[in-house]
Parts: sequence; C-alpha cells; structure tokens
Amino acid sequence: MTGDRPAPDALAARLAELLAQAALKNQRAFEDLYALTAAKLFGVALRILRRQDWAEEVLQECYLSIWNHAGDYAVQKSAPLTWMTSIVRNRCLDWLRRPQQEASGEEYEIAVEAWQDDSPGPMESLMASSEAAALARCMQQLEAKQRQSIMLAFHHGLSHSEVAGHMKQPLGTVKTWVRRGLERLKTCLSAPA
Amino acid sequence: MATYRNPQLRDKLAAEYVIGTLRGRARARFEALQRYDPELRRIVAEWEARLTPLSVAASEIAPPASVWQTVARRIAAAHGHGAGSGLAFWRGLAVTSTAFVLILAAFIGVAPGPEPPMAMVAVMNDDRGQPALVVSWPRMETMREPYVRIKVVQEHPVMAPGTTWEMWMLPGGKGTPVSMGLIGIDADQTMKVKPALASRIEGAWGLAMSVEPKGGSPTGAPTGPVIFKGQCVKIL
Repeated sequence: MTGDRPAPDALAARLAELLAQAALKNQRAFEDLYALTAAKLFGVALRILRRQDWAEEVLQECYLSIWNHAGDYAVQKSAPLTWMTSIVRNRCLDWLRRPQQEASGEEYEIAVEAWQDDSPGPMESLMASSEAAALARCMQQLEAKQRQSIMLAFHHGLSHSEVAGHMKQPLGTVKTWVRRGLERLKTCLSAPA
Repeated sequence: MATYRNPQLRDKLAAEYVIGTLRGRARARFEALQRYDPELRRIVAEWEARLTPLSVAASEIAPPASVWQTVARRIAAAHGHGAGSGLAFWRGLAVTSTAFVLILAAFIGVAPGPEPPMAMVAVMNDDRGQPALVVSWPRMETMREPYVRIKVVQEHPVMAPGTTWEMWMLPGGKGTPVSMGLIGIDADQTMKVKPALASRIEGAWGLAMSVEPKGGSPTGAPTGPVIFKGQCVKIL
C-alpha cells in the first residue's frame, strides 16, 4: 500500500483499458498490466499454495490465460482486478485438488506461523482501502470465530476440514460458522451504509 | 439436477465456490454448470465482487523476474503464427491440430447417404480446448437449400432455463460476427443457412456459440458468454 498508487477507480479504469489492449494483442499493454497486478496476484497465489515454486508456475499459467482470454473480459460484469483475482484463485484451488500436491506437514506448520504473524495485516489493509470499506465494516460485525474461519478458507485456501483442524473444532461446527458468516456478510453488504 | 434450481442452494454453492470450500468433484460439477447458466455465473460474480477486496487488500509479494520472462517468451512464440484475422476479440481460439481435422474430415466425408461431400469443417472447442461440436457443410452452391450439419461430440450440456445458444459466423478481416441462428438440442442436427449468408460462409474465418436469452440475442451481436469457438478449415 504505497501512497503513489492510483486511486482504486482510476486503477480499475486503467486495468480495463490495458485488458482491452491485450485483447488486441498489444504486448506492451500486457506488460504494463503485468507490472500493475503481478505482486497482488502472486501474493494471492502464494498464500493459497504456500510454496514459491507452485505459486510461480500458477502465476505464469494465469497470465497466459489472461492474455488468451482478455477479449472475454469485455462481456464480464466484474471489475478487472476481481476478474483476474478469480482466475488466480480458481487455478490455485484446481492445483490443490490434485492429491499429490498437498503441502507436507512441515511446510504447513511454517505457513501457520506465517499467518499468525500477518493475521491482522489483511484486515488492517482492508480498512485502509476505501474500495473495501464496506467489506471491512461488515467483517468486523461478524463473530470472531466466523471471521477467522472465513479468512482461513478464503485467504489461505483451506478446505473445511483444514479449517477445522487449524481451529481444533468439529467439522460440522466450522461449516456452520463459514455458512452463517457468509450469510451475514451478504446481508450486511446489501444494507445501506 | 432439479436441486440446482433452488435459489437458496444456488446462492450457498456459489458462496462456497468463491470462498473455495467447495472442493473436488462438487467443484468441477459446479464449474461446468456455470458455463451454461449465465444467471448462476452472475451469482458467482456477485460473490467474487463481495469477497475479492479481502484478497487484493492483503500484502503484495513481487514474483521473481523469471515469471514475466517465461510469460513474455510464450506469448511471443504463440503470437508468431497468428490466425490472420482482424477480429482480435475471437483470437483466444485454440487452433485445432491439422491431424485431428483430417481425421474428422475423413470421418465426415465418408458418411453414407445422399448428402454431398463436406467441403468445410469447424471443430468448436469449449473453453478448456475440448471439442464440443463439429460443424461441417458441403459447397453452398451445390445445395438448393443450404445448411450446415452440427454434430455434438461431447456429452451435450444442458441449456439453462430461459436461455438458448446462438451460433455466429466470424468473417475474416474486420467483419463483426453474423448470427447464423439458434441451435437445437439434437446430437446430430442441421441448421438452414440464409442465402445471403451462404455466399459468405466459404470465406468465414471461424464459428462461435454464445449463450443468449430465449429467442436469441436482442442486439444482433453476441451478448452472453461465448461457450464454444472453432476455426473453419477447408477440406475439399
């Protein structure tokens, strides 16, 4: 979060323009798009995959996919960064679906420590970004256990059973927290501020 | 599949899909459903819009320079043999291997019956590059009532309620997509070609299929997601 960044709306407009250029196979525009988004998307991939080499491979595949499908973005109704982030998240989750790709126990423990260090990070940055102010407000209104289980699942790509293991709670309980938390978030986000 | 019509369940599954707790075969099935159900896709997009700020607000980590170098090299390699169309929008198209087209051509060409030999073929792939439909047609001028033949080559996906699929001819050069009509649900079907279109289809660069509201695109241009695309290849 550096101060010389364009405001969220200006950034979104710029990214949409670069995607349109990439659809026309403008490689310079695509390089600019990469420069503006790669660190965000690499962060997303690394938090979910927890392995540098996997995250690099997935990021490469995702940018090739974005290059090949930039034209399809025109018919999407999403913000550019939302569209690109979803491509990365989905590719990461596909990657983890392969049974042989499960992180080993040791890496898992290291990763857990890392989360504990940065666990206030995402929430703080969220509050700093006006774009996400509503989401931050609504996240804060959740019960702590709902908020934590949603963050572990969404932010770190944990499955229900991994969240349950991490929070030392029964699977059914965790599923309920996630489901109720999401319902409350939706209601809160659709209410006027 | 009736359960997928339940609005609460659709919303719950969309939320779990986006947050990532929908896993394994359930996830793959839900992904497949979305491709043919724009309304479901919209519900998913709403959840993505709700939750993505959580992802992007988190700390940024710069990837090593080798990531961009690999991406740039692979793009340059793929760009070297472009399809030569001005319609960049459609260029995501996976080029079907010549060998595969020739096998199909042999298969279609020797089909028994009174049908004239097929002169052109387009293998329409889904967004994973898997062939979904094969569209072929004889020389238009040899037919009193021109048509194209459409064969479904993968398990036929279900059209979502209230939607239909519209086929588009992609002319070469700077031309915009031209509607050919709405596809039916049969595994082997023909689609009549209007005389004005028949004269242009021999020069078509590709075909595309989009999901549209019932009755077809209200604007005369594709409005929904493009689910299949394929390049036209002359085989005769």
